[in-house]
Amino acid sequence: MRRHVSLYGLTFSLPLLIWQLLFFVFPLAFLVALSFWTVKNFAMRPDFDTINWVTMFSRKVFWQAYGTTFALAAAAATLTSVLAFPCSYAIAFKLSDTARRWLVFLMVIPFFTSYLVRVYSWQIFLSDAGIINVMLGQIGLGPYSMLNSIGATMIGYLTLSFPLVVLLQLFSLVFIDRTLIEAAHNMRCGRLRTVFAVVIPSGRVGLVIAALFCFILSFGDFVSPIYLGGGDPTTLSILITDTTKSGQQWPRAAVIALTMIATLMVVAFAAVKFAYKGRTK
Amino acid sequence: MSDTGAQDINRSKPVDWALKAYIFAAYAFVFAPIAASFVFSFNSDRFPSIPLGHFSLEWYQAVASDPLVWEGLRNTLFVGVIAGVVSTLLGFGAAYTDYRYKFFGKQIYLALALLPPTIPVIILGLAMLAYLSRINLSGNALSVIISHVVVCAPFAMAIIRLRLSQMDPALEPAAWNLAEWKTMRHVIVPFTKPAIFGALFITMAVSFDEFAVAWFVSGLNETLPVKVLGFLQGQVSPRINAIGTFVFVTSMTLVILAQVLLSGRDATARPDADE
Amino acid sequence: MQRDTLVSFEGVVKRFGTYLAVQKMDFEIRKGEFLAIMGSSGCGKTTTLRMLAGLEAPSEGVIRLSGKPINHLPTWSRDTPMVWQSLALFPFLNVRENVEFALKMRGIGKSERRKRAEHWLDRMQITEFADRNIAQLSGGQRQRVALARSLVVEPEILLLDEPLSALDAALKVRMQSVLKNLQRETGITFVYVTHSQSEAFSMADRVVIMSRGKIEQIGTPQEIYRTPRTRFVADFLGSSNIFSGKVTASGAGSVDLETASGPLRLTTNAAPPPGSAATLTVLDTKMRLSLTRPANSTNVVPVRVIGEEFVGATATLYLETAQGQEIRVQKGHDELAELPLEIGQDLFTYWAAEDGHLVAEA
Repeated sequence: MRRHVSLYGLTFSLPLLIWQLLFFVFPLAFLVALSFWTVKNFAMRPDFDTINWVTMFSRKVFWQAYGTTFALAAAAATLTSVLAFPCSYAIAFKLSDTARRWLVFLMVIPFFTSYLVRVYSWQIFLSDAGIINVMLGQIGLGPYSMLNSIGATMIGYLTLSFPLVVLLQLFSLVFIDRTLIEAAHNMRCGRLRTVFAVVIPSGRVGLVIAALFCFILSFGDFVSPIYLGGGDPTTLSILITDTTKSGQQWPRAAVIALTMIATLMVVAFAAVKFAYKGRTK
Repeated sequence: MSDTGAQDINRSKPVDWALKAYIFAAYAFVFAPIAASFVFSFNSDRFPSIPLGHFSLEWYQAVASDPLVWEGLRNTLFVGVIAGVVSTLLGFGAAYTDYRYKFFGKQIYLALALLPPTIPVIILGLAMLAYLSRINLSGNALSVIISHVVVCAPFAMAIIRLRLSQMDPALEPAAWNLAEWKTMRHVIVPFTKPAIFGALFITMAVSFDEFAVAWFVSGLNETLPVKVLGFLQGQVSPRINAIGTFVFVTSMTLVILAQVLLSGRDATARPDADE
Repeated sequence: MQRDTLVSFEGVVKRFGTYLAVQKMDFEIRKGEFLAIMGSSGCGKTTTLRMLAGLEAPSEGVIRLSGKPINHLPTWSRDTPMVWQSLALFPFLNVRENVEFALKMRGIGKSERRKRAEHWLDRMQITEFADRNIAQLSGGQRQRVALARSLVVEPEILLLDEPLSALDAALKVRMQSVLKNLQRETGITFVYVTHSQSEAFSMADRVVIMSRGKIEQIGTPQEIYRTPRTRFVADFLGSSNIFSGKVTASGAGSVDLETASGPLRLTTNAAPPPGSAATLTVLDTKMRLSLTRPANSTNVVPVRVIGEEFVGATATLYLETAQGQEIRVQKGHDELAELPLEIGQDLFTYWAAEDGHLVAEA
């Protein structure tokens, strides 16, 4: 470990710092400035006016979208975590090392397929004449209208974050000391109870972080709510795309975006705090 | 495993089988859309569903004869390769900085280096578009490259940092007598080489699939994923499946290449100090 | 079966795949005793303990607890609390919650739980740490938490799997007396697995010595020390000199052997047939030394000094016979002071026929 500043050290550390300052921090900071600009005759003008904040925050549509987005993301985080847990648990505790390695490898594959293509593929499954309805039709059921619903949006969110949640959960579960589980059994704690009394508390950090990532991804996603949910109810991400792509209302979009970032920061902070609650380093 | 000990008394066969069935169901859910996209890309029907029509390459032909798709592909490759190289270089620098130096504000440095992927892409897209158009950089391939480097560099850094942490602590001090630049060239770079290439391919793969930020900033220079978004917005078309399958095969090739390089670490672990 | 038997292993075998971890094992654990199971790593001692705890199922045979077979009872249906080598304390619970855990699992109400936990926290002298996290405790304190956690249900039997191995030497000795007192006061049967002879011999009422999945000897520390049953035990304890040879004559309370170190005699009731192989052991404290050949001793071996080692009140003298066999002799410093102790000094070592002891070959 070296402390002094040298040309050598700066050659490696500065490029990323400069890049992220120029193209990550500045854009986000500019977004803050932009939120105080004004729009006249479809042209933006540098300004310092709280009008955009006041306008957005006084709109019922905005708060409805906010509530919807928050509720959907929270539901996605809960649902994904609950559905992923038995899978991660089983991979961590019920399979051989070889099988586990293979399943981890398989779970990485979805990261390298296009999310858009997978969402389109779900349309093939869920549409009125889609695969599921044809199959149901053969046993005399349906057809059901599944696309353009909250359920379909949820399937989209699951598609987006299920693999990541499984991997993060798995990563925390495989490192649980097996003797803790034996010790619990040894103290009259049965199988199912051990999951809740020992496995989940032991893996809490990973489980919470996994749910947090699912929340973040779902909160900002616009593909599933539009192409599976049919754009109704409106989420904040839909609101942003609508506001930017139609007309020059970027300052208002900036307000939405900043509100989202603030929300995510609060949620992330609370989640991390909860994850490490009662632990001392 | 004729005699599995504790499992016999402390495990329940039905529960174990139910859990294994659950794993299967979960993987089926994850792979259903991927498999369907693959299958329907070879299916003749205009509106994909079952029963399947006949085998056909018409969607591939439709895609291949669309000059816009070719242009998108060119843009994607151009953007992906450059963004991959730049993010890997930046990521390497950041990983090495974290590995080697302690300094005031390091936490902030690391936060800057690693945070971008946690910002929703739609917000990043909006911020990028607003900012880059302000400094007259938006609406071209360069703007996509700039944005993708922001998103990809953290991945490169994480991969290379992981490799550096596997470096034998005795290795670098041993070479301390060499000048720093020589140490870098003869010890650090050879040791991290597999991770560097791994990071290169992974970041390229991430760039190939990124559509949201690119959609905001690309203007007329749309990349392939942005084209797919366009198809999705327009009428439903199995061309998406053809493109999806193509992109999937490309990405997986890169990932497997990266995997091979990363797992071949032991063979290349020794630095060629006396090169 | 004896009336005071708490646990019995009857023909118990444990295989992991094709690996035989425990061979046909028959032994009993008595109510209220402190039993140590000792052996080097891989001898099957921990597997034996884990079978009793229900963490492994025997491949063959029956394990009984209070007369009832428990082979197929899952761990959580037995009352065989165990203290792990790693202690296996729950890091996400504080000390009190750890101690209360087993009570909670038994559906014992909150106030009763607290009362009983309080009692054991007090008894183990860790009350002041009750609200701390496990990570904040020292090794010795954790040890006490682990004991309190297992004893809080006041079981009939407590299983301990090398619980002291992570402690430093001084603390180890202190914890040994804590354990021994605890066992004496509570009357709870302790089954203590260890690879350390000093731990086993200082605490246990009886010791089981295992090797390669087999019981070599069961007995009080004294019995085992004085009369190792097998050559392995004698070797393992390292406190006896071993001489192998052929029986030349036997009967009338004594046996004569022809060994590489010359003819030797020992007093025994056993009568191995002449011509058979036999092994004789002599405790290193029973060996005597002389500069001149002792006149009327039957067992005399000429030796040369090759080294010496002073440990506390006694010294160990390393000797070598003409045939190259190493012999150890333990003596008080005073006694040794009378002898010239240069390396290379020629001496005679000798012992009484009563101090010789015949061990099984296997």
